[in-house]
Amino acid sequence: MSKEVELDCMGEACPVPLIKAEKALADLDVGDILIVLIDHSCAMKNVPEWAREQGHNVELEEVDDGEWEVVIEKVK
Amino acid sequence: MGDQSQMAAEGGIRRSTRTRERKKKKNQIPFGILAVLVVVAIGIILTHTSGTRVAFFWMLGNIFGFVLQRSRFCFTASMRDPYLTGSTSLTKAVLTAFAVTTIGFAAIKYGAFVKGLPIPGQSYVVPFGVHTMVGAFMFGIGMVIAGGCASGTLMRVGEGFGMQILSLFFFIVGSLLGAATFGWWKLTFIVRSPKVFLPDVFGWIGAVVIQLLIIALLWIAADKWAKHKNASGAH
Repeated sequence: MSKEVELDCMGEACPVPLIKAEKALADLDVGDILIVLIDHSCAMKNVPEWAREQGHNVELEEVDDGEWEVVIEKVK
Repeated sequence: MGDQSQMAAEGGIRRSTRTRERKKKKNQIPFGILAVLVVVAIGIILTHTSGTRVAFFWMLGNIFGFVLQRSRFCFTASMRDPYLTGSTSLTKAVLTAFAVTTIGFAAIKYGAFVKGLPIPGQSYVVPFGVHTMVGAFMFGIGMVIAGGCASGTLMRVGEGFGMQILSLFFFIVGSLLGAATFGWWKLTFIVRSPKVFLPDVFGWIGAVVIQLLIIALLWIAADKWAKHKNASGAH
């Protein structure tokens, strides 16, 4: 049973969301989903880029003006 | 964005629990048009009160800020991400920008030189020495903690990111401290350090070629670094 974890990084400047996401994802199992909430425009670029480079499935959604959710599905 | 969330529901990652009720976003286009009109109006007022030079700076600043924001160009990330994630896409972007400006600046300066005019921007050719390294080291630490360099901080204050207003405040405090102690730095290091203008050393063509060559080598190194980091999977 895959689980879904939400990681709140609102108000955190780059690179904090990235490092937090990295640590949170390491604790998850394959198939789990990590949702990173961010409002720093820089993290909206480097979190998805990092996760894609790692080979995970990534989706970016702008949930409000200047607020994004990065949905990462761990695949390996 | 409606299309995107629909796509996510249909084809992408299946999210089980939450499909949070989305607030309807305000249409930003009227605000954008209004902002452009205000910027242009201030530009026109500046032309009349302070001259075209100031108005030109005003427009250039606005355009630079716009490009910086839309492109998510980040000098901090270009130096930090190679260590952090192994990503060098921004490093390569910065190096590309340096290569373009190298050619542009050389053209402007050489253009003035061949006409026998004073070369513009020569007051920015400043001595290089211990003070440069100390400053670069402090700035490097500061920008990573603050989450942005000078231009990045200003841009994110404009975006309304609260924490970076704090960065801006201490950015000003730091600048004031720097200005207050500048006399000491000048006497201790700056006046004793060499001032190098590459065209004086290598000639105009040599300077451009050597600088572009160094940038190209750094670009290749950055590219290889990213591939190496990704291949090893470690970071």
